[in-house]
Amino acid sequence: MKMPGGNDIERLYDEHAQPLYAFLLNFTRDEADTRDLLQEIFVKLAREPKLLAGVREERAFLIRLAHNAAVDLMRRRGTRDRTKENFAAEMISPFATTNDPDEKFYRDELAVALGELPEEQRAVVHLKLWEGLTFEKIAAALEVPPNTAASRYRYGLDKLRGRLRPLYEEMKKAE
Amino acid sequence: MMNDETEQFESRLSSQPLKQIPAAWRAEILTAARGAQPSRRLSPVTRHPWLSTINSELSTVFWPHPKAWAGLAAVWIFIFTLNFSMRDTSPRVVEKSATPSPEVMVELKKQQRLFAELVGANEPLDADRQKLFAPKPRSECVEILMT
Repeated sequence: MKMPGGNDIERLYDEHAQPLYAFLLNFTRDEADTRDLLQEIFVKLAREPKLLAGVREERAFLIRLAHNAAVDLMRRRGTRDRTKENFAAEMISPFATTNDPDEKFYRDELAVALGELPEEQRAVVHLKLWEGLTFEKIAAALEVPPNTAASRYRYGLDKLRGRLRPLYEEMKKAE
Repeated sequence: MMNDETEQFESRLSSQPLKQIPAAWRAEILTAARGAQPSRRLSPVTRHPWLSTINSELSTVFWPHPKAWAGLAAVWIFIFTLNFSMRDTSPRVVEKSATPSPEVMVELKKQQRLFAELVGANEPLDADRQKLFAPKPRSECVEILMT
């Protein structure tokens, strides 16, 4: 299915669906919402192929689409009012499963700690740590100034460190 | 020292593998996307963007009952055609009903007099005849009859 500008929806899916999925799952913490949002994004791209015309950074552009769609969904459903405890209780982890009990414990704790971060910090932390984007690209994707992206990252990382420090130190000792 | 610790912590976090997208989603999402893609009858090279925009807008408006809209458009075209064809004759009617110029009136009167002279001088002119039968009080009418 060729789209104007040399983009075909299959190629876009194969190249970008996985990182978008991980970002959305970490943001929404809900599989069904993530699927709906992903479908919404690709349907939008298919319906309006000119959206990508002249876009240099496809990934950053698609993350922006995903972020805006996720924020809209949260607003519509009032999930911004969800408490941190709800996130923790749901335990929908964005991380892969493992058979190693220590790793499993660490990933579960990290998932909870990430869930406790405010959405805007979680989005920046995710894009920096798991997408490897620069603050400039994160800023472009989330439509915030680069300084804001950097400060959100530092606040988020500090909170994660504080939350995971005992576990981290314990694991270091064990090593 | 602090930076090293931060870097270690960051690398520890970023090394955690993320969940993989379910494979079944690909077919489902792409099917939905294909269904939403607008159909293209003309090649993108020959098609102007503004034309395609107008076309898509019109399609969304007229799509529910295209035959009904086409029928309505045909009726309107017929009405307009009929209206314009009737308007063509109207200027002539206006010309005929328009009052003639004073020169024409003078010429007309001259011709009338000439015609009256040719037919017979005793015949009163239309203008005189009108005067003869102009409405008058009954008493005056009796006098005319008596004379």
